Amino acid sequence: MNSATLKDPEVKTATPSHTAPAAPATTMRVAIVEDDPSQAELLTHWLELAGHRCHHFDRGEALIRALDQESFDILVLDWNLPDISGVDVLKRIRASQQSGLPILFVTARNREDDVVMALRQGADDYMVKPVRRLELIARLEAIARRGKHRAEQQEILELDVYRVDCQTRTVMREDRVVELTAKDFDLSVLFLRNIGRLLSRGHIRETVWGPNAVVTSRTLDTHVSRIRNKLGLTPENGWRLAAVYRYGYRLEQLDAAVPRTPRTAER
Amino acid sequence: MTNLIRVGTGESSERASVLPVLTVRVDKDLETLVNKFLARKREDLDRAHAALAIRDFETIRRIGHDLKGAGEGFGFPELSAFGAVLEQAAIARNERALKEQLAAVEQFLSRLRVTFR
Repeated sequence: MNSATLKDPEVKTATPSHTAPAAPATTMRVAIVEDDPSQAELLTHWLELAGHRCHHFDRGEALIRALDQESFDILVLDWNLPDISGVDVLKRIRASQQSGLPILFVTARNREDDVVMALRQGADDYMVKPVRRLELIARLEAIARRGKHRAEQQEILELDVYRVDCQTRTVMREDRVVELTAKDFDLSVLFLRNIGRLLSRGHIRETVWGPNAVVTSRTLDTHVSRIRNKLGLTPENGWRLAAVYRYGYRLEQLDAAVPRTPRTAER
Repeated sequence: MTNLIRVGTGESSERASVLPVLTVRVDKDLETLVNKFLARKREDLDRAHAALAIRDFETIRRIGHDLKGAGEGFGFPELSAFGAVLEQAAIARNERALKEQLAAVEQFLSRLRVTFR
């Protein structure tokens, strides 16, 4: 067996390029399942520098349990985990109510049949460790762009009787401006960009108030109730902003003829 | 000028080899992470030696696998290469190769001097 040897005993090695990537179109809530603490810290560091928020799980079962109460925009998944394999995690997610969660495998397994198996089981992409920082970020953001929950800062959403302008931060309902506070606007946009998607309380809190804000459940419920009333998100108007016990909220459009994904318009 | 260090073998100074320091420059923003990473890898090395003594090849395989996956990301492609060989040697239950490779990793870590910029 060959030994790995040093080519040049006095060589000075530089770290990989850490040029800052462009700011992301939107901040993603990323779950990372990785049992190697060093690898998890590095991935978290890179993704947070790129403007995303990370939640680390060192076991597959820990993530599965968390998904009962939490939602994420994307999952970075290792294959070799101490409790269950990454492929088992993938299968269980695809069979669950969060079956649409985008998943990027990041693993040191580099055999072709491993890559093929993961993709055929439903992974959205596959990267072999050691991964490169900018490539990782680019692939994650590409997966997000392909997803149904794509959201961009500079867009106008037109849905049913609503028109949302994210630049002027205004919401119009049947051509009349709806008076909203800053937080209520952010909350409205979050729901309107994620119609039909179950969002956990943690996800809502982080997205609207930020990762370090202390927001009680009652405060969150109050804001949700307020936008439900102000925007008329009620069954008689063809909408339901439903609370899901011990989890969060889901905005549903009751008229099945209307597309689920928001229509976007360029300015 | 090249700094010289003595590889800590625990043997007599006559037998210990003198090797040049290997200087690696790492981005300042990774300083804390890199220091923790290297400390963990030194602990892993001790664990691997203990595992080899009791022929626990699975533990060494995992240590090699993690080293292979993480080394280059922190700026140490040599460690990823060492990790890959360690993993394969553990799978093959090749004790001689494992001893050689663990010694190589130990030597690399002992020569390593990281500067942050």
